[in-house]
Amino acid sequence: MGYIGDKDKEYLKGEFDKYLKENVKILVFTGDNCQYCNVATALGQEVAELHDAIEFHEYPVNGEEAKKYGVEHAPTVVITDGDKYGGRIRYVGLPSGYEFSSMIEDIIDVSRRDAEVSDEVKMQLQMIDKPVRIQVFVTPTCPYCPRAVRTAHRFAILNENITGEMVEAMEFPEWANKWNVMSVPHILINEDVQFIGAYPDEQYIKYVVEAWKKMK
Amino acid sequence: MSIGFVLPSASKENKEVDVAIIGAGPAGLSAGIYAIRAGMSAIIIDKGNAGGLAEEAPFVENYLGFEGIEGEKLAKLFKEHAMKYVEISERNEVRDIIMENGKFVLKAEKGEYTAKAIIFATGTTHKTIGVPGEKELFGRGVSYCVTCDGYFYRGKRVAVIGGGNSGAIAAIYLKDIGVEPVVLEYMPTYMCEKAYQDIINEKGIRYITNAMVTEIAGENKVEKVVYKDRTSGEIKEEKVDGVFIYVGLIPISELAKKIGVETDNRGYIKVSSKMRTNVPMVYAAGDVTGIAGQIIIAAGQGAMAALAAYEDLMLK
Ligand SMILES: Cc1cc2nc3c(=O)[nH]c(=O)nc-3n(C[C@H](O)[C@H](O)[C@H](O)COP(=O)(O)OP(=O)(O)OC[C@H]3O[C@@H](n4cnc5c(N)ncnc54)[C@H](O)[C@@H]3O)c2cc1C
Repeated sequence: MGYIGDKDKEYLKGEFDKYLKENVKILVFTGDNCQYCNVATALGQEVAELHDAIEFHEYPVNGEEAKKYGVEHAPTVVITDGDKYGGRIRYVGLPSGYEFSSMIEDIIDVSRRDAEVSDEVKMQLQMIDKPVRIQVFVTPTCPYCPRAVRTAHRFAILNENITGEMVEAMEFPEWANKWNVMSVPHILINEDVQFIGAYPDEQYIKYVVEAWKKMK
Repeated sequence: MSIGFVLPSASKENKEVDVAIIGAGPAGLSAGIYAIRAGMSAIIIDKGNAGGLAEEAPFVENYLGFEGIEGEKLAKLFKEHAMKYVEISERNEVRDIIMENGKFVLKAEKGEYTAKAIIFATGTTHKTIGVPGEKELFGRGVSYCVTCDGYFYRGKRVAVIGGGNSGAIAAIYLKDIGVEPVVLEYMPTYMCEKAYQDIINEKGIRYITNAMVTEIAGENKVEKVVYKDRTSGEIKEEKVDGVFIYVGLIPISELAKKIGVETDNRGYIKVSSKMRTNVPMVYAAGDVTGIAGQIIIAAGQGAMAALAAYEDLMLK
């Protein structure tokens, strides 16, 4: 018995068959004294087994690969093509609960090498010409959080300067405390601009642009 | 550990259906099943996840067939059942509706949908109380969702403002995860079901009646909630680290109004006993009708709305 039920597996297989195009890698970074690392590994493996286009790799969080992908915490799950997307689409902590669905959507978008946003938002995204890091603090029981995570990840797919990072606040309480996270989704851009809530793309991008402008 | 997932969708789409259902809460999901089984084509579009507000219900004890089940699990079962019949498009907000050649065109984030009939199953959003501190301290102790944010307060004290069913359920959930809640209710008596009242007493949760909250205060984060005791007129306060607000709901009915649908003075969509609105081929179901904020009723109304659409569309 794995973590994903048989019914869900069957459904996911069907969706992957329909939508997956190019290869996708699930990279799971693990370390010692890590409560959920084995679950992250198992979850990544189980998803990868559902389709040939998905590869699974596990790496130590203190190793070379972690450096290459800019990963510092265990567990971190990275969804990538291994190249263009680097480690920019990632989950620090388990993508469980409602966030599991974000990971599935990421896999499909990364495989398509594309993501949907409106033309207006696309234009604003094109301005971002310096590294911007969007962190989205979540809890696994928050139904509104995946929307905020996925927006960060869609932006990261469309702009090489953007990193979208989910942070599971329950697994990393000190981190959440440092930024006074008390309501989720709590979005933190460049450790500077912050907002709370699952806003539509048009509002979200304004905060991203604000943080980017402040870098000048 | 539980996992749930959203139905992925690829690029922008254009679709034509008999019935477009806006909202994938209990009302919309149920409407979808009935619509397809009746022989119509349909799509359910939701700006968030399928499941709607039911996903925020910590524990449901009054849905037929389930003695007790987490709202999240019940929502997942609803969704899986509906998915067997009907396409559900999630994270896809319907932003505008126009009439074109006698049909409705729904302009949504992920595409345009043309439909002969629309069912509004758009539910509600949380109401704010409008006291000083509520806006200022939002995200710094003020919250509207216990399942989302309850865990941040383990080992701490919080106030639940509003002692109706949702507030009562929220307080019970908080107590269960190790938070110390106090309920502040404006009315002179318990405003929740007797069943919740019993649990509240059993678990030793304080439930203060006649409390008119006047302020949420604190520097940078919530430190206390101030209220007026309506019997004595005395101003009192509770020292707390958080405040969860459950003072009622506001119907999401702007789009419906835009196409001429009548609402009552609070914004709830007016419906006939068969869920028809005043606009032909437009129906409403669930919490947006304001009849009762209950999952089982929302599901029943959704079914009824789909059957009425079927009568109007296919049997005429
Ligand atoms: C804390 C809490 C506890 C509760 N406990 C219980 C309980 O124990 N038992 C019980 O029976 N009920 C309970 N409820 C109430 C129950 O959740 C609701 O009655 C039920 O979910 C209503 O269903 P609905 O389909 O009418 O609306 P909702 O569930 O609110 O669904 C409406 C959907 O419409 C979508 N939507 C709105 N506008 C748009 C748009 N423009 N475009 C696309 N999508 C849109 C929303 O995203 C949402 O998903 C509880 C509620 C709360 C908050």
